Amino acid sequence: MSEWFDTFSAPKPAPDPYDAAAAEPGSTEPEAELDPREAAALLARTARDAERELDRRPPYLMLLASLVVLVAYGVLWLSVRNQHPYTGPAGWALGVTYGTIAVWVVVVLIVRNRALTGVSGRSMRQGHWEGLAFAVIWTFVYVFEGALTHAGASWEITRGIFPAAAPIVVVGSAAAANQAARQNWSWTGFALGAVVLAGGASYSGPRAVWGIIGVGLCVLLVVRAAQAWWLQRG
Amino acid sequence: MDDELDPLIHVPARLRIVATLAALDEGDALSFTRLQTMIGLTPGNLITHLRKLEEAGYILTEKAAQTSVALTPRGRAAFAAYRASLSELLAGG
Repeated sequence: MSEWFDTFSAPKPAPDPYDAAAAEPGSTEPEAELDPREAAALLARTARDAERELDRRPPYLMLLASLVVLVAYGVLWLSVRNQHPYTGPAGWALGVTYGTIAVWVVVVLIVRNRALTGVSGRSMRQGHWEGLAFAVIWTFVYVFEGALTHAGASWEITRGIFPAAAPIVVVGSAAAANQAARQNWSWTGFALGAVVLAGGASYSGPRAVWGIIGVGLCVLLVVRAAQAWWLQRG
Repeated sequence: MDDELDPLIHVPARLRIVATLAALDEGDALSFTRLQTMIGLTPGNLITHLRKLEEAGYILTEKAAQTSVALTPRGRAAFAAYRASLSELLAGG
């Protein structure tokens, strides 16, 4: 039967380039002499290039994140800053925020996919479970917000202070603990900085909280991007 | 002086292979295709060096749909020792 009509068989897997290479005669090129200084330079360059290529959170992505945060929180602040009485962010502002976040998610997925192409193993499996745990944590921050609304909390709380600060306090705390367990102190510091910022900003009231967190997170992300860029150069 | 440096690693192509694999988290592997793209060697050349590293127990190749390559704990230790020897050599010279 022609393959055109064979719809029941599993598709043939793509040929493994390793098998094709293994079938070829091995290289017989003489091995080049390597001076220790050349070796040190080659080692430093290769390690730096590899880290850059495998980096799923490159500095430019953090810079882009700083802009996303500024736009997302900025438009929400613009829509509430003159509200008396407070009713919460306007529909147009929520639309801009969700749109910006949606574009951001797509960019993150593209960068992550490019960095992790061909990578497999323990950290990948661990990453999937961590992603799931963070999704559950994030979701239940909003479930809790629903409970506050249900209990009759004011709009200043349920459409202001809580949605602006609580996701960052809760998810940031979980992220800080996660990064501390890995002894990744740069990210631990960043996450703790975000928690302190959001916790402190929540005292500024339902209007200012959006602006303070937007600008504060933007600054934290720019600092973290500069730090990552500096470390990669080193 | 070069006697102190592990001759299996102290070759440009293998040094680049080991340094690239060491950039992965412990327990992770890289597909043969991605490794080839990152290092820029021909498939035949790459496989020759991989075989030498595998014979020494420095790397492990794993066959699945696509072959992947990972640094073994022994390979990581050898690479750490190589880096230390290289630093000492440069500091002394």
